[in-house]
Amino acid sequence: MKKTFLLHLITLISISCVAQEIDSVNANLNEVVVTATRTQRKLSNVAVPVTIISKKSIALAASLRLNDILSEQAGLFMTSGFGTGVQMQGLNPDYTMILLNGEPLIGRTSGVLDLNRITVGNIKKIEIVKGPSSSLYGSEAMAGVINIITEEPINKSFNTNLRYGTYNTFDASVNGSIKIKKLTANAFINTYKTDGFSIRPFSTERTVAPLWRLTNQIQLNYPFTNKTKLSIIARYNYEHINNKIAVSNTGGTIISDGKEVHNDYNVNPVLVHQFNKKIQTQIRTYFSSFNSLQTLQTNSSLQYRDYFAQQFYRVENQTDINTSDKTTITLGAGYVHEIVNSNRYDNEKNNKTNTIHYYFSQAEFKPINKLTVITGLRYDANSVFAGAFSPKLALQYEASKKLSLQASIGRGFKAPDFRQLYLNFTNTAAGSYSVFGAIEATTQINQLNNLGLIQSIEADFNKLGNLQPETSTGINIGGKFKPNEKLNVAFNAFRNDIENMIDTRIIAYHKSGAQIFSYLNINKAYTQGFDINTDYQISKKIKLSAGYQYLQTGDKNQIEQIEKGLVFTKDANGVARRMLISEYVGLPNRSTHMGNLKIIYQNKTFFINARAIYRNNWAVGDKDGNGMFNDNDEFAKGFVQMNLSIGNDFKNGVGIQIGCDNLSNYTDALNLPNLPGRIFFATLKYQLKKTNK
Amino acid sequence: MKNFRKNFVAILAVVTLASCTKVGTTTPIDTTNNGSFKVFTIGNITTVQNLIADTIIGFTPIGQPYGANKFTFYSIVNNAIVPSTDSASNRWDIAFKGSLIIVNNGTSGPGNGGAFVQVGLFNEIAQVSNDSTIRVDNAPNYAIQFGSNRAWYTYNSTANLITPIPGRTLIIRSANGNFAKLEILNYYKGGTTPSVSASDDVKIRQQRYYTFRYTYQSNGTKVFP
Repeated sequence: MKKTFLLHLITLISISCVAQEIDSVNANLNEVVVTATRTQRKLSNVAVPVTIISKKSIALAASLRLNDILSEQAGLFMTSGFGTGVQMQGLNPDYTMILLNGEPLIGRTSGVLDLNRITVGNIKKIEIVKGPSSSLYGSEAMAGVINIITEEPINKSFNTNLRYGTYNTFDASVNGSIKIKKLTANAFINTYKTDGFSIRPFSTERTVAPLWRLTNQIQLNYPFTNKTKLSIIARYNYEHINNKIAVSNTGGTIISDGKEVHNDYNVNPVLVHQFNKKIQTQIRTYFSSFNSLQTLQTNSSLQYRDYFAQQFYRVENQTDINTSDKTTITLGAGYVHEIVNSNRYDNEKNNKTNTIHYYFSQAEFKPINKLTVITGLRYDANSVFAGAFSPKLALQYEASKKLSLQASIGRGFKAPDFRQLYLNFTNTAAGSYSVFGAIEATTQINQLNNLGLIQSIEADFNKLGNLQPETSTGINIGGKFKPNEKLNVAFNAFRNDIENMIDTRIIAYHKSGAQIFSYLNINKAYTQGFDINTDYQISKKIKLSAGYQYLQTGDKNQIEQIEKGLVFTKDANGVARRMLISEYVGLPNRSTHMGNLKIIYQNKTFFINARAIYRNNWAVGDKDGNGMFNDNDEFAKGFVQMNLSIGNDFKNGVGIQIGCDNLSNYTDALNLPNLPGRIFFATLKYQLKKTNK
Repeated sequence: MKNFRKNFVAILAVVTLASCTKVGTTTPIDTTNNGSFKVFTIGNITTVQNLIADTIIGFTPIGQPYGANKFTFYSIVNNAIVPSTDSASNRWDIAFKGSLIIVNNGTSGPGNGGAFVQVGLFNEIAQVSNDSTIRVDNAPNYAIQFGSNRAWYTYNSTANLITPIPGRTLIIRSANGNFAKLEILNYYKGGTTPSVSASDDVKIRQQRYYTFRYTYQSNGTKVFP
């Protein structure tokens, strides 16, 4: 740490007392959201549970990557493994759709989209919609949707942000807008570099490896006329991870040099035309490409090489018709073409493709004055498997000025991904087990069997067939309560029933005894619980926010087995006994209780932002060998993480901020590999004062 | 890390105590044994502790652990280890090498042995059911199938630990054709599985020590005493 640098900053802060008003961070029910209905709606009028994270909250928390800020929301849990994913309403990261300006981000590994790939430097706001939203967004939107909305070009703006912190972590952003005749343009660049860290004792291997990330984004807006507008967003993202692994072995040491390079870019032209006050249409086109190359090189040879490339093309039309003041009808249709190449499949030169065409409609109307009704339906026709219908119904009732109630029910689905269909992978580094995608499995096993390389074929082999989409039905019932100007309460109870979940099963054994896995639609699970979020303005200067989520989960097949008395556990001596349903804890990696507390103190330009995040223990390992999670299995300890930041925004546009994340220095190398110890940082920023209207 | 382990042990102890009082199992096991081979019989149940099954003696250049590749032969009839010089005789009933258990029949020996895996609690299995199929060894297809999640154990590759699956009781036919029911209790020295956070070194050095219990029916019937 550069102590002197910090000292200077502290001195600067203590002498600063420049008076200036900053925007209030009060949750504003007049704020506009687009993700919930795909049309602009006031937050107070949306019938499904929506959370907005403002630019201000991101700045106060001094977040750098998307997972930093999402981890501070009640009910969102960051998972580790294949990057950092988000668990929403107890559902795995695979089931939450991540959108950038309304378009899906691609490049998932084992179903996880690494949130570390996304910088928050140019985010205007993040909209989080909970509950199945496939009626508008199609596959993946089973648990909900997270839509990242970036800054739009304005007449003239410039801001820059520099941050330096523990582990030589350096982050810098520059963002600017300009207007040339009718054209407005915005450009953004961010670079993030860190040495990584190791929280494993006696290990040279780093839990987070040294890496460098670069993000560039340009947005152009051009109004041809008052009624016709074109916007183009182009973005390029680069990530380079370096991982040196030293394995010592009977005296000798082998040094392996691991490299991981990710490239992704997307281009998104959108043409909007307003025919008249009642009808608006937009044509959205989107192209995105992601590729990843991982290598592991020792002094003598290339040990490992993994290549994955995905291309995604989409064209979509959406038309909104306001038939009256109270009724809006939205109609849309689109076409998607996807191509994947990977050496995880039969041959990386062979294209694996999928095409989808889809149609959706939504009607929003007010049958009586205080009641808003939204009905939606979407149909996705997929070239690889059967189509999926996704209906949704949402109601909002304004009981009084202080209280509004909402209820929604919807279906969500997730189509099997390329890995589940085409994977052809044998892990020679670990026991030579194999995993075959559902389309590959039968052919592969038959071939191996003809060569006499199969020891036995298991019962699940005969169940292999066409993989079906995973589906969910979600119910959300809640409301918003605002008894006075100071207090805001939002509450929501949820239940998700998931069917046809895709799971890996052993379908055969190699002659060596190594296992062969494939994918089958087997599991049925549920998640249920409630969450509550409150904001309270204690005084002019102090605001308190608190959030809590209660969660229960379970695998329905497992519960059935337990109830039949077919599941056993054991005592300390290893003696088996029948397991009771009361000992069952449900799905692993889920905490029953999660909460957060946030205090913001703001005195003119000076602010202090203190946050605490809590989750109770969660199951991580099946210790008794019964294949499910119960009381006497292995749990990760519950913990509290505390973050603090202090800053001042000067009148001339300069701002400074210092902070400490993970104040109590809590680490758990085994279960929270992505949580570093205590981190200090200092930020310097400059914002050109607004001169445009 | 240290704290984690301490707390982990504490949690384990609490859970263990709770489960004992809850169900009230009275298991005749001498928990003071921390590593020596021991056989004792209480009532109809014989318990074997720390039967060494080809423990790790070294590592290959690429880091794979290996043993001496020798079975430990055991007689269920006589409650004793049988010297390997008697491997071609009817004096042994089962033999252990790593996580592989063989029976005295087929490709493994000259006896009339056999086995199958029954899902159910050791105490609740009163007899060998009539529709059960006794299998014999036909390497690499063994009567007690070899591999994770196939017969009596599951191997967790992340934790690098072998755990007997609760409720998998082995029905064994001895070399002389009598039946026994057998439950594997643990695979590690002292009858205690190392904690997940233990080092790989500990996990490798303490493995391949069997603790198991069985009930043998000497009168030739399929009903256990």
